[in-house]
Amino acid sequence: MFNYTFHWNQALRSLPQMLDGALVTLQIAILSMAIGLAIAIALTLFRLSGNRILSGFATTWVEVARNTPALFQIYMAHFGLGNFGIHLSPYTALLVGIAFNNAGYLAENFRGALKAIPDTQTRAGRSLGMTSLQAFRWIIMPQMLRIAFLPATNQMVWAILMTSLGVTVGMNTDLAGVTQELNARSFRTFEFFALAAVIYYVIAKAVTLAARAFAWRMFRY
Amino acid sequence: MKASVIALGLLAATALTSQAHADKLDDIIASGTLRCAVVLDFPPMGSRDESNNPIGFDVDYCNDLAKALGVTAEIVETPFPERIPALMSGRVDVGVASTSDTLERAKTVGMSVPYFAFEMAVTANDKSGIKSFEDMKGKIVGATAGTFEAIALEKQVKEWGTGEFRPYQTQADVFLALSQGQIDATVSTSTVAQANVKTGKFAGISVVGKAPFDVDYVSLFTNREEYGLINYLNLFINQQVRTGRYAELYEKWVGGELPDLTVNGVYR
Repeated sequence: MFNYTFHWNQALRSLPQMLDGALVTLQIAILSMAIGLAIAIALTLFRLSGNRILSGFATTWVEVARNTPALFQIYMAHFGLGNFGIHLSPYTALLVGIAFNNAGYLAENFRGALKAIPDTQTRAGRSLGMTSLQAFRWIIMPQMLRIAFLPATNQMVWAILMTSLGVTVGMNTDLAGVTQELNARSFRTFEFFALAAVIYYVIAKAVTLAARAFAWRMFRY
Repeated sequence: MKASVIALGLLAATALTSQAHADKLDDIIASGTLRCAVVLDFPPMGSRDESNNPIGFDVDYCNDLAKALGVTAEIVETPFPERIPALMSGRVDVGVASTSDTLERAKTVGMSVPYFAFEMAVTANDKSGIKSFEDMKGKIVGATAGTFEAIALEKQVKEWGTGEFRPYQTQADVFLALSQGQIDATVSTSTVAQANVKTGKFAGISVVGKAPFDVDYVSLFTNREEYGLINYLNLFINQQVRTGRYAELYEKWVGGELPDLTVNGVYR
């Protein structure tokens, strides 16, 4: 029994506010993805380096990032660090939490991609006089990024959806935060949440399609 | 013959429709259970004791209501933002959840007359140097998302034009952030502020003064169209005050001067 009359006009009046929130959501997702990619490449290099401390660090990062809830990671970035007197604003805490998560998953993506590239290519590069870093940079990495690209767009979609966890650390400018607040004010829960769901869907779908178009343009032989 | 068939049909129709008219009050009495939405991280209104049982003013209030209805009470723990979804999806019958009776919300749910009234207090981190409500200008402040005081405080921050407002999902998170110094001050109901400072769980914070917001009258709520039940709730609240039970519960959970539930010069 669902006893509720929908007041869509009230929700639609708040649409501009929600779209502003959607921009913040997208901004955090893109930034966290850029930071995550950079860290993931570093982690991949650490794991290839053969140095036990570096590869141990990278493995620990990946293990924690992939095997604990994103909610926990974001909560720790705010309240966990806060306990030690390090105060990140909700925006930064959310960004740090998602970037941490992205880096872990992307490093795993890269590991999978590397497995698909035969070792002999590195050896061929080395025999041409390249250093191992040069061989990685010019021969392995371009192929790795190509193979990992589409799986990585999954992570981008995931990053967009994870931004909604920001409400747990006091975030009120992103789409989920704006929606929560509009809901608290008016109690029109279902209209606002349905609208937010549609906006999330559209963003995520647009990102997936754009990534596919990009891959088609960039990576054809 | 024909007339009697029609008469029989009419009789059957009235019997059917009268059965379909059983309202929520009937449903509660028939089911033998009253399900109340209560917020349990909002001491002293609602919290849990050492053995994890729900306790507090709102819990007792729900039990009293169930007793009056002659049914058993079931406390459904409901965080502030989930009060309406819980009601709309039929998981609870009545909200006994310190819900401010704003006009905006009354478009969605049916509110009883006020059953409790809060005054707002400012609690600050000792290091922030905040000594009064006005000192909060330009600082980072926070409150529990979706509450009366959060809405009022955010409006105030916007009016001041400086500083930052952060809504947290639970009262516990607000006080955690406050004691860590993530936020400099919060506005909460004075009962909650005192209860939280008293627990000693949050170091380095103290209640520094009153916030000049309107008195926050809170209501019981149920579905908007359930006039029968809303009527019953209104009478119940009246009786709680009349019989002295309201004063008794206030003394038990809060203590001090009993808040007046009436507004001078106007009916409700």
